[in-house]
Amino acid sequence: MRTLLLWLLWLLIAASIVGAYLFAPPMKGFVGGGESSRILFFHVPMAWTSFVAFIVAGVWSAIYLRTRNRRHDHAASAAVEIGLIFCILATVSGAIWAKVEWGAFWNWDPRQLSITVALIYYAAYLALRSQIADEEVRGRVAGAYAVLGLVVSPFLFFVAPRIAGFSLHPQPVLNQQMELRMDHSVLGILIGGSVGFMCLFFWLHNLATRLAALADRAEEA
Amino acid sequence: MSRRASTWAAEAAAVFVKDWRCEYRTRYALNTLGLFAFTTLVVVSVVLGPIGNSLQMATAVLPVILWLIVLFAVTAGLPRIFVAEEETHTATALRLAATPSALFCGKAAYGFTIVTLLEALITPLFLAMLQLSIARPGLLVTALAAGGFGMAVGSTLIAAMVAQARTRSALFAVLLLPVLVPALLFAVQLTRAAIAGEPPGVELRMLLLYDGTLSVAGLMLFPSIWTP
Repeated sequence: MRTLLLWLLWLLIAASIVGAYLFAPPMKGFVGGGESSRILFFHVPMAWTSFVAFIVAGVWSAIYLRTRNRRHDHAASAAVEIGLIFCILATVSGAIWAKVEWGAFWNWDPRQLSITVALIYYAAYLALRSQIADEEVRGRVAGAYAVLGLVVSPFLFFVAPRIAGFSLHPQPVLNQQMELRMDHSVLGILIGGSVGFMCLFFWLHNLATRLAALADRAEEA
Repeated sequence: MSRRASTWAAEAAAVFVKDWRCEYRTRYALNTLGLFAFTTLVVVSVVLGPIGNSLQMATAVLPVILWLIVLFAVTAGLPRIFVAEEETHTATALRLAATPSALFCGKAAYGFTIVTLLEALITPLFLAMLQLSIARPGLLVTALAAGGFGMAVGSTLIAAMVAQARTRSALFAVLLLPVLVPALLFAVQLTRAAIAGEPPGVELRMLLLYDGTLSVAGLMLFPSIWTP
């Protein structure tokens, strides 16, 4: 069953990549006759996945603070580690897109601000974990920091971009008028890619958590 | 055996008074924060000169510099809120003496008064040395109070975290800055509006909301950090 699901995941991701280049129409208003819009199918899912990873880390940390089960702490830490990778990829791909589209790698667009602060937050969490020797203290303190991140993140991801008023980024898929302004084939490939990337994250997360639990068992033996 | 009952408010007040009594005897935090902020201000003033004469430059640059001075002073001086307890081995006694929420409120109140004193010292000097005039002084005071409150609460929570880590000073700044970015953004915008004489807008509500969010999160998370 697990193997079948993995094969389906790889097929979905492969289909999204193929669809991004061969089936998605170039979008109006983008550089290169709309061809530069194809980065949408990679950059946006990675940014969404990094945000999901943030939430997953916060939730597992909250569960750990309640249960004090080491496996839950491992799950939180794994979510941050993998989320950091997605965050770096989203930031770098966004910077490349910004150079092509707006002429500069970095403009401090509100969404660029949000992803940068999220990146710093992830890295700070891992720095905190590396500086506490005692396992129980490390779980509690890092867990509290991750839950604090969960509380702070809506201001970063939703409030700050909307307060700034301007944004170089295209309007969100669901804008203030709650209308879908995206071509259906583009939307389909975007959603498919997003689901694929998120499933990839959850698969990697599952592997990392199980690996950490096995390492614990090996240590105890 | 029954423990002598003390009210939550009495515990918080006792922590606040204890910290200020220690501070009065050593004047460590006030000296550190004050001198650090004053030195930074001197460097800024020497380099930039009377930049406040141009309204465009004043609104673009000076709010950021003011808040950076306050932020750097806070990262230099406020970790002591909990690091000093670990260094003097009084943390265990503190765990026995006060409930976590009362301890957090007492410490945060102490931090807030320190930050307020710092801002009261630095802001007039800042205005004088950079020749800056404020069109809406009330809004500036509100921005300093609300921003300072967010800094104090965030610093108290992060100080409790780093007190149990190895490299405390460096880690404090690394952990605190991402938490304070939203508050600093709103505070800088409000300061800009105060200089230019514009009405506050949505930033004031967002800053107060963020302060409230940090306070509630701090009260809920502090027991997990503090209590083994």
